[in-house]
Amino acid sequence: MTTMTRRELLKASGAAGLALSAPAIASAQAKEPIPIGTLCPLTGAGGSYGPDMQRSVIAVVERINKAGGIHGRAIQLFHEDDQTNAEAGVRAARKLIDVNKVVAIVSTWASAVTLAVKPLCVEAKVFLIGVSGADAVTQGEHKGYIARTQPNTNLQGRMYAKFAVSRKEWKRVAYLALQTPYARSFGDAFAGILKAAGVTITDDLIYEDKKPSYRSEVTRILATNPDLIMLEGYTPDSVVMAKDIYRAGYKGAILAPSFAINAKFIEGVGPEVAEGFWNMDRAPLFDSPAYKEFSAAVPRTDQSPYAPQAWDQMSIVALALAAGRGEVSGTVIKDQLRSVANPPGTVVYSYAEGAKLLGEGKKINYEGASGSCDFDAIGDILSAPFSVQQVRRGKSELVQIINP
Amino acid sequence: MPPIAQYVFNGVVTGGILALPAVAFSLLWRLLRFPNFAVSTYLTVGAYVALMLNRGAHASIELAWLGALVVTGAVALAVDRIAFRPMRARRPFSLAIASIGVAFVLENVVRFVWGNDFRSYDVPVTRAASVAGLRVGRDQLLILGVAVVMMALAQTFLLRTRLGIAMRATADNPLLAAVKGVPTERVIAAATLGGGALAGGAGVFLGLDASVDPLMGAGLIISVFAAAILGGIGSAPGALAGALIVGIMEEVGTLVVPPTYKTAIGFTVILAVLLVRPTGLAGARA
Repeated sequence: MTTMTRRELLKASGAAGLALSAPAIASAQAKEPIPIGTLCPLTGAGGSYGPDMQRSVIAVVERINKAGGIHGRAIQLFHEDDQTNAEAGVRAARKLIDVNKVVAIVSTWASAVTLAVKPLCVEAKVFLIGVSGADAVTQGEHKGYIARTQPNTNLQGRMYAKFAVSRKEWKRVAYLALQTPYARSFGDAFAGILKAAGVTITDDLIYEDKKPSYRSEVTRILATNPDLIMLEGYTPDSVVMAKDIYRAGYKGAILAPSFAINAKFIEGVGPEVAEGFWNMDRAPLFDSPAYKEFSAAVPRTDQSPYAPQAWDQMSIVALALAAGRGEVSGTVIKDQLRSVANPPGTVVYSYAEGAKLLGEGKKINYEGASGSCDFDAIGDILSAPFSVQQVRRGKSELVQIINP
Repeated sequence: MPPIAQYVFNGVVTGGILALPAVAFSLLWRLLRFPNFAVSTYLTVGAYVALMLNRGAHASIELAWLGALVVTGAVALAVDRIAFRPMRARRPFSLAIASIGVAFVLENVVRFVWGNDFRSYDVPVTRAASVAGLRVGRDQLLILGVAVVMMALAQTFLLRTRLGIAMRATADNPLLAAVKGVPTERVIAAATLGGGALAGGAGVFLGLDASVDPLMGAGLIISVFAAAILGGIGSAPGALAGALIVGIMEEVGTLVVPPTYKTAIGFTVILAVLLVRPTGLAGARA
């Protein structure tokens, strides 16, 4: 029901916009709209992020349609809820592809969903862009139909290392990670940068999940005298690990991902154990003009990094279609993706700016709300800003932004 | 490299927690002649009962622990009456499967009531003290002490009290014991109550040491099972020894092989012991 209301609202506002821009009316109404699907998690584990992502996509499309659409064709959005569940995601994607004939699906969130939907999109030549982090998302043969604005684990590892190197007092670093598919690739990227900067990696330990205690792992790590422990885990195991590290009398620094060091973590270990925990997360590009336009258009209660990415994804898809000289398909989007998002070209911060320059036959380079949005050959982004927080008196506080 | 003694001590604490459900599991197996896999879930139940008392009713952790003993014992008794008693005459295999079913049901009740998230008790984490070059946590020492006292009480009960002797008689030969006038059902009820309390108490320890979550007991069942087999089914001291060996081997083993294989270390040791001594450490009686 809510999606219907949103769609009607969207159509109404689109039409109102069209009425204002007289020259566009005739062509926009005469031509068929461009169907694009959103597949955000409105329920399930990602349910706190999906609605804001969807609102961001809608806001971008409202602007485009108001200004006359892409080559005179309005965008028509079709919204589906992936329920943060691969199986529900596949069903929803099938509907978007087969019934709504979308040319692109934007803003998938969970890696499991993106991975499940990926083969469908590649097969139907539908462009898929999401915020999933697993390395497998962009690996394998996908003919360019897959891209993402979320850093892969290698880039994350390098950005964590960049921060660690910037703190000159950390000369001995131990890597302590939960056994996950990304523990190795993250750890190698992280250690590589540190070693190159002359920092000693004192230990490298991957631990098992669901153990009643991690005393011996902690004993081993602490015996190497680190002054920073990089703890790469999820919240439940990080709680047990943090307690055991504290009990063992460690007084040095600990760095961890923000998705593990959340409010639940602080409640779990108590403010005293959590005090001083450094944690990092992918950040939006706060001082970018695109971010300012985004945050004015999409008021939100949290600072999660996903909604700005959704904003950028929709903008890039629209720009790629605009660069396609009238042809509308997933193939056009994947072929034009790098020509509108990567350098060289005049830097633009919105669809409107970019479409104008494209119309004049100029090259553009979209810089978004979430970062510079430059893609490599397999669809991964080349860089992203990260935020550094520290737990102080029971709350994570923003300390600095690490720009690429 | 820290002294190996530190790893041994770490293993003793883990083994001490493991010993309580292992003893319950082992004795109930001997008495009722089937491995009751629901024992692992009694840990979870105990941990959550204490959480409710500690976080909800603001009871001290000591009081919450006592509450967990009583309530978990009662839950174990109720489970026995509802699920296992009507099936007493069945083959052990059917009962073992039924106990797995019971474990799932209890686990989901816990999830339904308290949710899937992990929780912690309202007890501050304290720094460990250094004793003779060893890092010894106050909480860990306390947990170990209480576990040892509970084990001693259980052993004394089995050896010295009328009910304990009746329990051993029933375990050795239920038919003969019944003929001799031992009230079988009363003995079973007492053992179930005691076993549930032991497991529930261990659940609180585990929650204190790590954290409380609906899968905490299920994650431990393999180790409990291993300790009981290793010690020899039906022997309380055997189960204690088995638990300590499993605990110590898992910790000390991390010196030699990567910690990711912790669980595998335990199994290798069990396999080796069973090959040499198939009836377990406390051998002959099993």
